[in-house]
Amino acid sequence: MNDNDKNLKDMWNKAENLMGASDYESAAIKQFISGRSNDTAQKIRNIIIFDIALKLLVLVVLAVDFVLYYGTTNVMTVTVAGIALIIPLVYYQLKMLRRFTEAADNGQSTRDKLASMLTYLKTKFLSTLLSVSITYLFVFIAGSLAYFYAAYGYVRKLDGVDFMVFLGFITIGIVFNFIVNQAQIKYHTKHLEVCLSDLNDKSLELVSENIELQRKQDRSNKLLLGLVVVIGFVLLIAVFLNL
Amino acid sequence: MKRQKSIKKEFSELIQKNQAIIHKITMVYVNGRANREDLFQEICLQLWKSYPNFRKESQFSTWLYRVALNTAISNVRKEKKSFSFEPLRETDKIVEVGDDEKEKVKLLYQAISKLNRIDKAIILLWLDEKNYEEIASIMGTSKKNVSVKLVRIKRKLEELVNQSVKQES
Repeated sequence: MNDNDKNLKDMWNKAENLMGASDYESAAIKQFISGRSNDTAQKIRNIIIFDIALKLLVLVVLAVDFVLYYGTTNVMTVTVAGIALIIPLVYYQLKMLRRFTEAADNGQSTRDKLASMLTYLKTKFLSTLLSVSITYLFVFIAGSLAYFYAAYGYVRKLDGVDFMVFLGFITIGIVFNFIVNQAQIKYHTKHLEVCLSDLNDKSLELVSENIELQRKQDRSNKLLLGLVVVIGFVLLIAVFLNL
Repeated sequence: MKRQKSIKKEFSELIQKNQAIIHKITMVYVNGRANREDLFQEICLQLWKSYPNFRKESQFSTWLYRVALNTAISNVRKEKKSFSFEPLRETDKIVEVGDDEKEKVKLLYQAISKLNRIDKAIILLWLDEKNYEEIASIMGTSKKNVSVKLVRIKRKLEELVNQSVKQES
């Protein structure tokens, strides 16, 4: 050990004495671990968990709608189609939650944590957001059917203006949610890229190659989710135009 | 339920014993008392979440470093730029040491806080007597990369400390 190293370590050891004053009792630590996390990973996890809960609620409401409208073929078809589309999406989000929990695990090495988080955010997160958007669409369909039953006992036919207003609000909601979440993640993604490149010049390059590969593999997932959005809109039109 | 309670107790006692590591990390990664307290709590929470995956064959402090540094590196909240050497809680008292000593320690922390997040982690581990192999394992890089980086970081630290000394004098 040279003089400079010794000097640095001496200073550091003195710092330990200074830090010794800030002692938390075991009770305070117990309180900390019962608190809520503020990190980005927890926020993303919350988005997915909330979405799964909402999808399950939609499933229940669609099942109730099916019973309420028993005998009305077109509405029953819409509720069955909705249920058939939502069930695989719940499974998909559960899979995403498991994958994200693995990616965000702090027990892995720093490089692995940064790489897996970056890969998830740059590949799977878009699919997660698409799946979240689909939920809003189905919340609207299931909720409206229940409301119409309670208010009129049948699905009231909407005129052109009503229809445009409904569709406009749903589209704005979906786009707004998408943009807000994407913007939040963009900042985090940039941060992860900087850290990875600081760790090792080649790290970011290798991770980028892997991201490209996964993006190609994930393309079919995004296409399928996009298709579900389109089907959702078609179902919505079918319900409100009483087709 | 009882088992969960005893695990919680065991965990908080372990953290209490090893809290100096977390304090050092919060000190170099964020500025200001409130931010440090937030990061301390966040690290405790992340450690608790990862605790079921802690394999007892590895050292507790190595595992703690891994989780705590990953939490600090991923923490992207905006913070104030000025460095202040203040205790974590108002009731805490900084141990009395000579002004000269205190100044030196302040300069070191100030210099470390100017490094990028990865360099901060590597130098922290080295200062805490972790060998190259342990540092490489925690950071997920090679021993060679750690050794090259440490040479650069130490040189940079020396420059930063000298710069601060010149500015203060």
